Amino acid sequence: MGEVEIDWPWQYNFPPFFTLQPNPETRAKQVQAWKSLILEYCRKGRLYLVDVRESSHIPLFNNSNINRKLEESVIISILSELQKTGHAAPVDKAKHRWEIYWHTLDEWASMIYGYISSRGFNNSVLTLYELSQGEDVQTEEFYTIPQEVLIKALQVLEKDRKCELILSDEDQGVKFF
Amino acid sequence: MRRRAGLGAIQKQRLEQEKYKDKGTEIQENQFEQITKQMEFFKVNLEEFATKHKNEIKKNTEFRRQFQEMCASIGVDPLSSGKGFWSVLGIGDFYYELAVQIVEVCLATNDKNGGLITLEELRERLIKARGKRKEHQEISKDDLLRASQKLKSFGSGFNVIPYGKGKYMIQSVPGELSMDHSTILTQASSSNRAYVSVSYLKKELNWEKERSENALEHLVKQGLAWIDTQDTYEKLYYFPSLFNDCVNATAN
Repeated sequence: MGEVEIDWPWQYNFPPFFTLQPNPETRAKQVQAWKSLILEYCRKGRLYLVDVRESSHIPLFNNSNINRKLEESVIISILSELQKTGHAAPVDKAKHRWEIYWHTLDEWASMIYGYISSRGFNNSVLTLYELSQGEDVQTEEFYTIPQEVLIKALQVLEKDRKCELILSDEDQGVKFF
Repeated sequence: MRRRAGLGAIQKQRLEQEKYKDKGTEIQENQFEQITKQMEFFKVNLEEFATKHKNEIKKNTEFRRQFQEMCASIGVDPLSSGKGFWSVLGIGDFYYELAVQIVEVCLATNDKNGGLITLEELRERLIKARGKRKEHQEISKDDLLRASQKLKSFGSGFNVIPYGKGKYMIQSVPGELSMDHSTILTQASSSNRAYVSVSYLKKELNWEKERSENALEHLVKQGLAWIDTQDTYEKLYYFPSLFNDCVNATAN
């Protein structure tokens, strides 16, 4: 994982930021700051998946300059907070691996549908590869979105009958309406 | 031969007394009239002075300070009343305006410092918010302290806490702070690291563990201190309001 370029908030250099605070009001502020920082970090670094067990290798959770790191259990509780607003979801039962949605699935969905409508691709079929890796989408926000996340976003559209996923083994595509 | 006091003499005496009394009342009335006139004159002069120097009052911090001192020496607090001729001075307005701005800065930074801010940071933020004109920039610590003192009258939600020599913090959340607490703030600011610990207080002040812990935990409960349990030796208590990166960070 390469270095993520980010303007760290002041809290990142504040040692107690890495200790869960006992005072409920202070803790609420702390968790809020962590939530924004996680989303900002992942957005800047285009990270879609975080493995909590790897957290000590991620500068986000481990500030080696001040020798402070965020405990795994605390990370999980903060990610669970992000889950409440649709900004994260665990992908395994043990809650080790998390998808991070710096755009919520709803936001991704409307972004993709906006693109389809603007290009007049309604009623056409696109492969998932085209939609996420194709030359035409290079300037789109959802360029390089991983398939797992893409499918979830498209499922949002499917519910609204705006598309239909075609997920067979050899052909992974989507038809937009 | 000694003359006995007759009726005539008594009457004469009474007459004289009455005359004295009249004279006394007259003098009193005269004096009262004179004082009233003087006051009137003083008031007119002061009003003239005020209108003439209104800008000076708003602009010049040294002028304000001296004016305040002059008022204090004759037992008058121009800030205590918005009514009457003091209001035309505009000095109350000035501090009123300043107080509102202080509250604004405190609210804006509350999220990061828990409602405790050094006078220096407060001043810097306030000046930034007030705009670039020179008169907006000339706000002294004295002005800020006076305006903050006024805010205290709104109840326990606002407090000026002296810590160290000539240093002050403004507390904008309810909660009593004792001498021990301000002593801790002094220690945290002089250690230049924005934190203290039980052993640090033991070393610097020879405080017993219990005393330190009580005071420190109180500060945590008030949301003014954060704990750090990742130090190899002991629990550290940090003050965001004294932490450089926090002080320099943009609010919100």
